[in-house]
Amino acid sequence: MATIVDITEEQALKVKNFEFTYAGSDEPNIKKLTMPIAKHSITALIGPSGCGKTTLLRSFNRMHDLYPANRYSGEIIFKDRNILTKNEDLIKLRTQIGMIFQKPTAFPMSIFDNVAYGLRLQGVKNKTELQDRVEKALQDAAIWQEAKDRLKHDANGLSGGQQQRLCIARAIAVEPEVLLFDEPTSALDPISTAGIEELIVGLKERVSIIIVTHNMQQAARVSDYTGFMYLGELVELSPTEELFVTPKERLTEEYITGKFG
Amino acid sequence: MSSIIDKIFANATKFIAIGVLLLVAWIFSVLFEHSLKSIEAFGFSFLTETKWAPNLEKFGALPAIYGSVVSTFLAMILAVPIAIGIAIFLSEIAHAKIKTPVGVSIELLAAIPSVVYGMWGLFYFVPIIRDMFGGIGISMLTAGIVLSIMILPFMAAVTRDAMNTTPDILKESAYALGGTKWDVIKDIIIPYAKAGIIGSFILALGRAIGETMAVTFVMGNVHKISTDLTQPATSIPVTLANEFAEADSELYFSSLFELSLLLLVISFTIISIAKFYFLRRKRTGQ
Repeated sequence: MATIVDITEEQALKVKNFEFTYAGSDEPNIKKLTMPIAKHSITALIGPSGCGKTTLLRSFNRMHDLYPANRYSGEIIFKDRNILTKNEDLIKLRTQIGMIFQKPTAFPMSIFDNVAYGLRLQGVKNKTELQDRVEKALQDAAIWQEAKDRLKHDANGLSGGQQQRLCIARAIAVEPEVLLFDEPTSALDPISTAGIEELIVGLKERVSIIIVTHNMQQAARVSDYTGFMYLGELVELSPTEELFVTPKERLTEEYITGKFG
Repeated sequence: MSSIIDKIFANATKFIAIGVLLLVAWIFSVLFEHSLKSIEAFGFSFLTETKWAPNLEKFGALPAIYGSVVSTFLAMILAVPIAIGIAIFLSEIAHAKIKTPVGVSIELLAAIPSVVYGMWGLFYFVPIIRDMFGGIGISMLTAGIVLSIMILPFMAAVTRDAMNTTPDILKESAYALGGTKWDVIKDIIIPYAKAGIIGSFILALGRAIGETMAVTFVMGNVHKISTDLTQPATSIPVTLANEFAEADSELYFSSLFELSLLLLVISFTIISIAKFYFLRRKRTGQ
């Protein structure tokens, strides 16, 4: 049986009996998973490739709905409602639950337009408001100093680390309540990685964060809670220090000590 | 030993590659040589003169140039929006079960020989245009429509391929910010694929302007400039196809050669522009 810590503080998301099956798969890729996500803290998801951690992450903003024939059941509770229902407004949901991807994904437009993109989608037209919010987002994502003199330049001229910070600025510009990070530093060098990690830690005062990572050290460095997943199940969810120092489950211990993975 | 074989092979390929360039230069020089009489006789006025009268030995290319430009322009106006629509449907909207059969049929359409489009146009389109717009049905408009149908499959297929190169992760990033399908198509996919799309349009334009068989049937070979699209007209390749066999004087013959030289220069220019766009596909960053 799984060990799942009781989260006494407020919860940003509650996963209940969530089951997910990819199109063309006979067996569920996530099996009856239940998991609380604490508000204003960082929850890391670790586990070997194919354990379902990215699949779970992409369920929180219903990314799977972009592709046909994926099946899911159970509940994910966000703001007192189950977001897995048919009549959930996905456009609105995705502005409340933002996402950062494995690779920097600067859009083919200027730096300014990249950050303003989500705001414009929401109908913000006022020039000064756009300028203020873009500047604030770039400052919060620690890229304002490098970007302020070339806001009109193509965003693809930035380095990988800068682009990833730009993507974070773009995501926080629309003021989401939850941010999903899908291995955000897997394409970056160690120095850029350290910068992104610092940034993520600084963001948790405002947003609840879930981060999928292949890198256990990263989970240990940034997160408050860590969930270990294996074969589509949540084996253990504990405060990060406890999970890495005194794991409750044998499977967790074997994974973090490198016996498999 | 093997280094000698390598050298022989390298030189053989080099020789063949240079041979292609020589062939192009040779074609140019032959066309130019045969055009000399006409160039000497008419000079620059060959391009501006509207009268094409073989019996009077007067040759002006403007009606043919006008016909080429207008029929190609018509074809592009009709084909571009439809091609983009088909490409968007195939790359972003269609279900996988429809995507493949429709995509393959479009690629098959692109393989139909142009003479078949011409015959089909003559027997089916000419009466329709006659009934709908008046005139005899053989006209600039018919030529434009047949041309547009001919270039449409190629444009749609290449535009779709260009759109398909947009990385999923980039599209997902836009959806993750609350974008709708339309937002993603218009703000991400089309800008990302822009260079490839424009390149395909220019290649189609090059094909349309040099197209002979599809339009020879339906255009009429009438050397007159008319703003009425239901009137018969001519284009450079139509003139060449219709009149080469009956060019009985040296000047007539030479004028036709000058026309073909003109067509070659136009096509060359268009393909060069397309290549330029394709080469710039990798965006320059700053």
